[in-house]
Amino acid sequence: MMKKVTAALEDFGRMIIFAVEAAAWAVRPPFRLDQILAQMAFIGVGSSFIVGATGLATGMVFGLQMNYALKQFAAENYVGGSVAFSLARELAPVFTALMVTGRAGSAIATELGTMRVTEQIDAMETMAVNPIQYLVVPRIIACVVMFPVLTMVFNAVGYFGGYVMGVFVARIPVGPFLDHTREFVDPTDIFHGLYKAVVFGVIVSVIATWRGYAASGGAKGVGEGTTRAVVMSSIAVLVADYVITFIAVGT
Amino acid sequence: MIEVTDLWKSFGGNHVLKGITLGIPKGTTYVVLGGSGSGKTVLMKHVIGLFKPDRGRVVVNGVEISKLEGKALTDARQVFGMVFQGAALFDSMTVFENVAFPLTEKTWRHRKPPAEIRARVVEKLRVVDLGEEVLDRWPSELSGGMRKRVALARALVSDPQVVLYDEPTTGLDPITTDYVDEMILNAKTKLGITSMVISHDIASAFKVADRLAVLYDGHLAAEGTPEEVRRSTDPFVQRFLSTWFAKQ
Repeated sequence: MMKKVTAALEDFGRMIIFAVEAAAWAVRPPFRLDQILAQMAFIGVGSSFIVGATGLATGMVFGLQMNYALKQFAAENYVGGSVAFSLARELAPVFTALMVTGRAGSAIATELGTMRVTEQIDAMETMAVNPIQYLVVPRIIACVVMFPVLTMVFNAVGYFGGYVMGVFVARIPVGPFLDHTREFVDPTDIFHGLYKAVVFGVIVSVIATWRGYAASGGAKGVGEGTTRAVVMSSIAVLVADYVITFIAVGT
Repeated sequence: MIEVTDLWKSFGGNHVLKGITLGIPKGTTYVVLGGSGSGKTVLMKHVIGLFKPDRGRVVVNGVEISKLEGKALTDARQVFGMVFQGAALFDSMTVFENVAFPLTEKTWRHRKPPAEIRARVVEKLRVVDLGEEVLDRWPSELSGGMRKRVALARALVSDPQVVLYDEPTTGLDPITTDYVDEMILNAKTKLGITSMVISHDIASAFKVADRLAVLYDGHLAAEGTPEEVRRSTDPFVQRFLSTWFAKQ
């Protein structure tokens, strides 16, 4: 048991050193814009469908549930506001992070893990190209930039889903629906979610790249690395969400 | 050119290298022979700084590579080319992108114009008997022998002073094995390259080596010219070499 704890702490320490190294390499030339754009396309554009679909489903279901709950107090006009508020501060950043972890985080861990066990990362090092700078930095930057963008996509599509359910299905008048949204939600709520998205982007990208980078032992090792990347990222996102929320709004 | 002094390395409780000392003069080919799991690859990875020793040092061209970290280590590796056992080609890149990689991934100041890079890639592929028709192919479309040749072209493209070969002939048919041996000899005679080869292929080792070492149980059981090693009285060396010489 003690051995496991020590190994876990050692692994965590090595991951932190890895993250610091990545930060140091990020500000050194050459700056690989083509790599960053390719990763932004893969992580951002490539995840937009799954994030949009999740956003739409979440917004629609949440719209219906809020309508059901608020109707009991004859307050269904507040459905739009409550949907937008919940999306902006919680649902959009957290669900986006979890969906992108499943889609792109796993792919990052698998790709880097395969490169590690087939000695492609060693080969890169022997060619005087730092693999952290070439492989890891573009993926971290792409996540940090694209997580907030995808969160905004989730917000927009989710609110649209809530609007459709509220206005067209539950027959809530458009005027009060939109008015209460404006009343409930202001830019600080949106920014609160976007700050979270940036933090989640750092967490997911560092964990996914580290689990791939540190993979060992062939196909089994790569598979284990990918599983750990997804599990660790998801838990870390949920813990970070609680911590940020607690710091921001307190009790 | 390369000096390894009293090199020790263990992983967990497993002592892999126990005080290895060897020297590789400039322009020579040095072969380290040994069985599977004898620590040959670990030794080679210390030479290029992929592993840090527990004790001892590795000096290449007067630079103590075993002490370097980060950018200093990356810069010190400019003198090396390395051919990996499984070729280690980047499977997300074409043959051209693979071979050009050491040239294209430089800072703007040190980068060569695209036309020159292409010419260099074609030239190095020609050295390993591959034509321009392979440039746009993916590593997954190549045979094992072709992959090794592309890996060798990639190792040579930045005109290294030292090339490290990790099991260059493992898994190849006899004709391709002979071909790879010729490549290693050519790299020395035509380009003046210092080579370190690790292998368990005794025939190839005796063909290409200026000096040989036999690694066993973490130390060098024999070291010297191929003839000296062949005459070694060490029981392991005798047994190891007899597996091949008995067949001749």
